[in-house]
Amino acid sequence: MANPLLAIWFQLIGRNDDREVSRPGRYAAAASAAQASATVFLVMRRMRAPLIVLIVIFAITVLGLTLIPGQDEQGRPWNMGFFDAFYIMSYTASTIGFGEIPYPFTYNQRMWLTISIYVTVVGWAYAIGSLLALVQDRAFRQALALQHFRRKVARLREPFLLLAGYGRTGDLLGHWLDALGRRFVVLDSDEDQINRLELGSYYADVPALVADARDPGCLGVAGLAHPSCEAVVALTDDEETNLAVVMAAALLRPGLPVIAHTTSRVLAARMRAFGHPTVVNPFDCFSEHLRISLKAPAAYQLMTWLESGPGAELPPRGEPPMEGAWVVCGYGRLGREVTAELRAGGSRVTPIDPRVSADEDAAVVVADGSDPSVLARADLVHAVGFVAGTDSDTTNLSLVAAARRANPALFVAARQNRSASASLFAAMNVDVLLVPADVIAREVYAQLSTPLLWRFLREMPQMGDAWAAALLDRLTGLCGTNLPTMWKVRLSPKEAPALRDRLASGQLRLADLLRSPHDRDEPLQAVALIVQRGEECFLAPDGDFVLSGEDEVLFAGWYAARRWLDTTLVVDAVREYVLTGRRVPESWIWRKLTRTSA
Amino acid sequence: MNLEKVVFGFFVVLAATLNFGFFIGDIADPALHNRYELFAAVVVNLIATVLKFGDRTQIGAVHLATSLVADLQLIAAALVFGYAVYVSAEGLTPAATASVVSLSGGALVANIVSVVLLVIETVSFHRR
Repeated sequence: MANPLLAIWFQLIGRNDDREVSRPGRYAAAASAAQASATVFLVMRRMRAPLIVLIVIFAITVLGLTLIPGQDEQGRPWNMGFFDAFYIMSYTASTIGFGEIPYPFTYNQRMWLTISIYVTVVGWAYAIGSLLALVQDRAFRQALALQHFRRKVARLREPFLLLAGYGRTGDLLGHWLDALGRRFVVLDSDEDQINRLELGSYYADVPALVADARDPGCLGVAGLAHPSCEAVVALTDDEETNLAVVMAAALLRPGLPVIAHTTSRVLAARMRAFGHPTVVNPFDCFSEHLRISLKAPAAYQLMTWLESGPGAELPPRGEPPMEGAWVVCGYGRLGREVTAELRAGGSRVTPIDPRVSADEDAAVVVADGSDPSVLARADLVHAVGFVAGTDSDTTNLSLVAAARRANPALFVAARQNRSASASLFAAMNVDVLLVPADVIAREVYAQLSTPLLWRFLREMPQMGDAWAAALLDRLTGLCGTNLPTMWKVRLSPKEAPALRDRLASGQLRLADLLRSPHDRDEPLQAVALIVQRGEECFLAPDGDFVLSGEDEVLFAGWYAARRWLDTTLVVDAVREYVLTGRRVPESWIWRKLTRTSA
Repeated sequence: MNLEKVVFGFFVVLAATLNFGFFIGDIADPALHNRYELFAAVVVNLIATVLKFGDRTQIGAVHLATSLVADLQLIAAALVFGYAVYVSAEGLTPAATASVVSLSGGALVANIVSVVLLVIETVSFHRR
């Protein structure tokens, strides 16, 4: 710190900073902002030389014109004033050329002006050329984009998500979140992805920046330290980058929810060392889904239905194969997860992979699965299930075709790697399809949109298949086979003021609440999926469940039911009718009148 | 010796001295205030301003601000001068001269602040 003014300034700023809660995040943002302004300053610095050249040229030529003796119309000696000289030089330099004013020039003046024309035009060309070159300059444009992005993020007043990585997953997630009315900010190191985002039609403005998410400064600029930032989602294809994002978020903004994608268990463990990030592993999710779909088809049906968003048709219930042997092609990360999961379920599994050594797993057939003789060696004819899980779509498709030819009754699961192959896999009509990008997007969406639903989906498989089938019957019986809306109600005094006394006395049964305000004998078309009380949660409680004031309830039901329930929660008279059947006056005057008459 | 600092100091001081040279003398007497000196002051001030572009320090920002103030005042003075000579019927009256010179006096204050800043910067510079 070279000068005392600077020292005082930093002391003032420093003292202010001590009061901030999230100080490190601010530092990160400040560092990156300094980088951006550095580029702007560099650009200004580069304009110094052209501008000084221009000023000097103008000064010399104007001064010359005022000093060189001229003549007026009568031939009397006359010296040009500064204003005339500046005027003449301005139009001469910009090649407009209005002529010789106010009097025709003498030869002296013309000689001087000839020199001036060449010098000033060169000066102008140099200055304008430099300015245009700077505007085209990549560093300058990046700096401008960064400044623009920073301003947009800083102006966000509603809660927003920080999305690092905008691949196929980010694209899906972005559109879903946008439809939900949630705001988000995107960072991606690939310029093409950001261009794609700018072309994508979003309702809300999505601030996006081409930047490396590994740089904490970039995260800071993207709003990591912003008070409205509600969560960080790391979805880049590079898993090291995701780890870096998790680390930065945990260190700079402790307590902020973080969701990260990885397919490696080692990286997942390293991520969990920083705070409590939610790690999404698509292969893990898929093998779990596969297990649920085999063990509990009704639970799987309910799960896919609830995950597929409002309005979706109830998917058909799958018919899982009997107990028996499985063949898994591709023994990579996915293959291992699936094999472990299936073996845990008691099935005999034969993995096939040309790149794995047999001493790792005695059952592995080390050969290329697309060879029919290899499939025969794996005893596919007597197997019940087949998984095509390599990282090439062509291979997976041909594996599925070969397997079906060998054994038409097979239960087939396949992995689709590229979104372009979607129509091919749809035509193949496999029993379970894994699309990693979709799985990640759906998992993250479930967590972000309705955390209660996510919790429900997590806990539900443990309740068994019969329970899930019963709940499905209840749902379809009340609301039909199109997925109703889902909404969350917090029974706090603020959100349910009419119920405060009832909740406090502990007499409010769920069935009493879910009655129509028009006719209380009619039930509302809504089902409580999950009730969360502190850390505890109750799945699909029945009508006798007693609610309390700290409950959060996730309902699934018709939109009309949602409106009616809201009135019950807020309006005292409606609550009175719904709970007890007594009609009480709604207006203050009527209430006074009835009280005096009673 | 840093050539950039020499050039910078030269222009800052020259702007102040030229400004002072134009300003000094009876405020209403046109004969004591040379128009070429005003012209030189405007030009040198503009160059000094451009030289201060792109300085990232706090003191650099204040430098730029004072220079812009001086430019503004001197250009205003030149405009008043031009108006009096070319447009107004009375020509360069004592009143017009007084307003030109007083405007340049304001610029002089800004230039003096610039010089003071330059001195502060120099004094607080520790050779490492």
